[in-house]
Amino acid sequence: MHCLECGDAARASDGLLTGLFEQGFVTTSADALINYVRTGSMWPVTFGLACCAIEMIHAGCSRYDLDRFGVIFRPSPRQSDLMIIAGTLTNKMAPALRRVYDQMAEPRWVISMGSCANGGGYYHSSYSVVRGCDRIVPVDVYIPGCPPTSEALIYGLLQLQNKIRRECTIAR
Amino acid sequence: MPKLAESLVQTLRDAFGERVSARVCLGEASIDVAVGDYLEVMERLRDAPDFRFEQLIDVCGIDYSAYGKTPWPGRRFAVVSHLLSISKNRRVRVRCFAPDDVFPSIPSVSSIWNSADWFEREAFDLFGIVFTGHANLRRILTDYGFDGHPLRKDFPVSGKVEVRYDAELARVVGDPVSIQPRVTTPRVFPE
Repeated sequence: MHCLECGDAARASDGLLTGLFEQGFVTTSADALINYVRTGSMWPVTFGLACCAIEMIHAGCSRYDLDRFGVIFRPSPRQSDLMIIAGTLTNKMAPALRRVYDQMAEPRWVISMGSCANGGGYYHSSYSVVRGCDRIVPVDVYIPGCPPTSEALIYGLLQLQNKIRRECTIAR
Repeated sequence: MPKLAESLVQTLRDAFGERVSARVCLGEASIDVAVGDYLEVMERLRDAPDFRFEQLIDVCGIDYSAYGKTPWPGRRFAVVSHLLSISKNRRVRVRCFAPDDVFPSIPSVSSIWNSADWFEREAFDLFGIVFTGHANLRRILTDYGFDGHPLRKDFPVSGKVEVRYDAELARVVGDPVSIQPRVTTPRVFPE
């Protein structure tokens, strides 16, 4: 195993368990442990802007049940790791969205959900809509669709988990 | 239903005479009122025992500058109010043209119906129609510091400003719009 960023075999962070001993303890790399914890509890801030938020709510409710992935919606950006921009971002909302993002503690990730958040979508040529939320905040994962299904949102969350697993916090 | 509207039109004609032009339009009683008579007519529509229009359902603005196939001969801006009488089960439309095209201004009916407050703010925001006597005539929908009135026909659909986050200033800033307005739907005229 090699670290995907630095290529150093000794700093491998992919395999979670690197040693298993009979005395009842295991050894692993700090990066693997940190990424295991981060991917296992991505807490998104409850932030719905338009109809995509309905699909986000569906994903969070009992049928799809995001709790299974450790994804628990938080009412405060200060307790959140993730922001799902679900819906049309208007010019008037943009400063508020940026303020919520700025209030989130690092490390933080952003998922852009749906056509409107990705690039303005149906309202691309409108006078009041931001043509892509990446003009306001940096985005990690874009989910296409209008609106994306709940499955698509879950797939996007899994892709974000894959992205987080490639991060090396200790071994830079 | 048209019969009920016809009888209401007759009642309106009896009450107001030549001051309002009452007719049935699309199955509903509709009247045109001059600006000078507007407040008095509206107050009577609410209070007179023949009418009792207790509810103001909607207030909307109209920009007639691109209306129809030929240039519109009348004034540019109008305000249409939809009234509902709960006690008599009747509805009426009231249209009032603003006398000035450059600075359209119409008396506010928010002192007669409280629901007019936000409706008139919306019409002011999107059409730039000033409602005199309104206690709090601010924009209600568009961005803070928005320039122009979006539902006016001469307003570019793409607007004038687009926003982005400026990392140096650490805030969201506005830039001149970078895309050209384009027509995505053909203009159609109802027969």
